[in-house]
Amino acid sequence: MTDHETKAFFAGGVERHIDSMYSVALRLTRTSTDAEDLVAESVAKAWASVDTLNDQARFRPWIFRIMHNTFISDYRKKSIRPIEASFNDGKNDDDDLATLLNEQSDDFLIWWSNPEREFFNNLLGEQLLEALDDLPEAFRAVILLVNVEGFTYDETAEVLGIAPGTVRSRMKRGRTLLQKALWEQRPGSHEGMNHET
Amino acid sequence: MKHDIGCLHAIEAFYAYLDGEIDDPDAIAEFEHHLDHCRSCFSRIEMERALRQRIQKTAKNDSPEVLRDRVAKLMKKF
Repeated sequence: MTDHETKAFFAGGVERHIDSMYSVALRLTRTSTDAEDLVAESVAKAWASVDTLNDQARFRPWIFRIMHNTFISDYRKKSIRPIEASFNDGKNDDDDLATLLNEQSDDFLIWWSNPEREFFNNLLGEQLLEALDDLPEAFRAVILLVNVEGFTYDETAEVLGIAPGTVRSRMKRGRTLLQKALWEQRPGSHEGMNHET
Repeated sequence: MKHDIGCLHAIEAFYAYLDGEIDDPDAIAEFEHHLDHCRSCFSRIEMERALRQRIQKTAKNDSPEVLRDRVAKLMKKF
């Protein structure tokens, strides 16, 4: 590839993925200005290391990995909320996970099936973002990459530098934590009532 | 007649199925066969699917014009 072709390929890749990068950056940093800085800084770093892109078909996971590494080194500390310290990383928690899936999700399912489903349809957008933003970063990142951006587990593992099995367990636990948060926000629950006042 | 994998096995496969991570066509067929015959698992997968779609729709953002301009200017310097 000539330099011109490399630049054209790189610019095309950035153009295709800039919305996805910004969406993920916004939910990771939780502020639009930091998200813009993170994306711009990541594009600059990616171009500086474009020689490390061995397979052009892997452009998306490659540039997201650079963005995630940039987030960790330059933005993570600023974005951490105190509540995150109370969560573990999903390791050694299979029993806990099974309990949450079998008990809490049943409750959520009952709620989903009843007339309050209207609440889900009308109000969940705002609450969903709040619940998503409150998730510990380890779970938020996999949900954003897999659920929102459609990365495979293998691609997500590549982006985050973790094993595919860890992506799988974080997806399960992240979804369960998200459902738990939404369940606690439903009308009539102590937390939900507090939200309405 | 297809073998029914049962709810416990289905729950194990729920998220892999939703995320398109099951490659084996026979495993997909067995899972879907179970959904066809189990109201509880069918409802649960519908709820999970709806939540997944809602997350996708809600968390997607277009990049702001100011960022697109900034990146375009940045790339001109490359």
